[in-house]
Amino acid sequence: MPLIDPSVVDLSRLQFALTALYHFIFVPLTLGMTFLLAAMETVYVITGKQIYKDMTQFWGKLFGINFAIGVATGLTMEFEFGTNWSMYSHFVGDVFGTPLAIEGLMAFFMESTFIGLMFFGWDRLSKPGHLAVTYLTALGSNLSALWILIANGFMQNPRGASFNPDTMRMEFNSFLKLVFSEDAQAKFVHTSIAGFVTGALFVMGISAFYILRRQHREFAARSFRMAALFGVISSLAVVTLGDALGRLDYLVQPTKIAAIEGLWQDSDAGGSAAAAPWLLFALPDQAAQTNLVEFGIPYVLDPLVAHSFSTNIPGLISLEKQAGPRIKKGIAALNALQAYGKDHGAAALATFKANESDMGYGFLAQRYAPNQDLSKITPANQDAVVAQAEKDTIPNVFVTFWSFRIMMILGFYFVGLFAFAAFFSLKNRLERNPLLLKLCVWSIPLPVLACEFGWITAEAGRQPWSVYRWLPTFQAASSHSVGYMVFSLIGFALLYSVFIAAELYLMFKFARLGPQPHQAAAPEAAPAPMFAAPAE
Amino acid sequence: MGKYFTFVGLGLVLALALLLAVVAGDYGPWYFAWMVGTVMIVLIAGCGAVLFDAQHEKGEGEI
Repeated sequence: MPLIDPSVVDLSRLQFALTALYHFIFVPLTLGMTFLLAAMETVYVITGKQIYKDMTQFWGKLFGINFAIGVATGLTMEFEFGTNWSMYSHFVGDVFGTPLAIEGLMAFFMESTFIGLMFFGWDRLSKPGHLAVTYLTALGSNLSALWILIANGFMQNPRGASFNPDTMRMEFNSFLKLVFSEDAQAKFVHTSIAGFVTGALFVMGISAFYILRRQHREFAARSFRMAALFGVISSLAVVTLGDALGRLDYLVQPTKIAAIEGLWQDSDAGGSAAAAPWLLFALPDQAAQTNLVEFGIPYVLDPLVAHSFSTNIPGLISLEKQAGPRIKKGIAALNALQAYGKDHGAAALATFKANESDMGYGFLAQRYAPNQDLSKITPANQDAVVAQAEKDTIPNVFVTFWSFRIMMILGFYFVGLFAFAAFFSLKNRLERNPLLLKLCVWSIPLPVLACEFGWITAEAGRQPWSVYRWLPTFQAASSHSVGYMVFSLIGFALLYSVFIAAELYLMFKFARLGPQPHQAAAPEAAPAPMFAAPAE
Repeated sequence: MGKYFTFVGLGLVLALALLLAVVAGDYGPWYFAWMVGTVMIVLIAGCGAVLFDAQHEKGEGEI
């Protein structure tokens, strides 16, 4: 099979990264806002106080703007798998398509149906009925994310499928293994809760803006209180879950974790694994396989990554060397597969089965084989081919290292910000702390930024694989022309920029307007609590 | 009769919740943590609002 033009692969990657990053500007806010709206409406239904209905409706309006544009940006991505990643779609379509189909049919339709009822059902549904709809909208939006992340979990740590040499693709053997994959679980919870942080800071920041301007005081103070408490627990959870995800990566994707930590040599290279420093700052040099500058905190790396004081964490150089034998086995697997394709012989099949688990590594060698033909690798040239292919098993260390650092620093910043915000809100001392309020306003975009860098860490750290250890990214793309890719890339960039401009315009417009006068009315004269004591 | 059906209905919901907890706890501990955690986050945010009302009904005008 001829290799696809590397420029086309790079452009396909750039296009997918661009559309995913654009789309992910909107997603976290949707994930978090829905449950925050549900919390506000729950208080309304229980207490009967009009102000909580006003809050739900006002923040719901901002959520609606974000949701509509988020859906528009997400639709194209599912088609991109078919148009730009056709080899990938062929290779894992049986597995990957299932969660995507469930996402479309179940979660997305559920979300869309209930969102309509949520917006237009205020006067048509009972209070508990409408509250149930709001919860179902929240559940639906998070279920959408769940199925996408189950699909992504398969790319990170393939579970529940095996390769069929007759059909030349991965096929399902366990739906439950796919759904309950640890990677999918941890990734979903981390992503969903990161959305909660985004939603909470959005509401808290705009509420802080009103408090600073002495507008909609009662409305803003309540919103701020709810968002601060929602955010303080979410931000603590997101950091904890991030640690769990890091531990999982250490177990299943050692190259990613070594790249995240800028770890070129094994952690015990200095004599003691326990004393290895966790790098606060480094300038990784991929070509020289070292950090040009680095400083870190000793005795932190091992407990942080391996949850131990005595475990050696393999460095990138060791991991690269460990890939060598796997590449050789992969070459044998692919050559046997090619022979099996011609004669369906038992011997070829047996050879393939013996080396099957390293098949993906064989693809890595194809780039460096004579005429890019694996069958032309001989004992004489094999070591040279393997030595070149080994280098490709390491992700871009600079990008992975720094995207992780930015995400992590922001994560800890959110814990501190929400903790102070919750404290001063509970003490009713917000107006005495204008600096904190200003910080809340200026921090509104930061959770989105953290989510984007989290996604970059996960995806850049998985390279060179599109499906970890099975299919390299350069083998997964479609064979388009460079012109086609450039044209569609520019088209997407322009279109999505328009979407973002529209989102920002509408958000600023409606946030500045604030709750409408009729919404900000005084509490109802005679509130009708849902659980009121029966009349005597 | 209505209360009886409510009681039975809530009992079934409880049984379903327990079953879900056992299954999710065994096979999907992170999913289970998300379910429990999300409910907790929503309830704590709601409690904050109720506390705000209680503080302000006592005459604490400052925010």
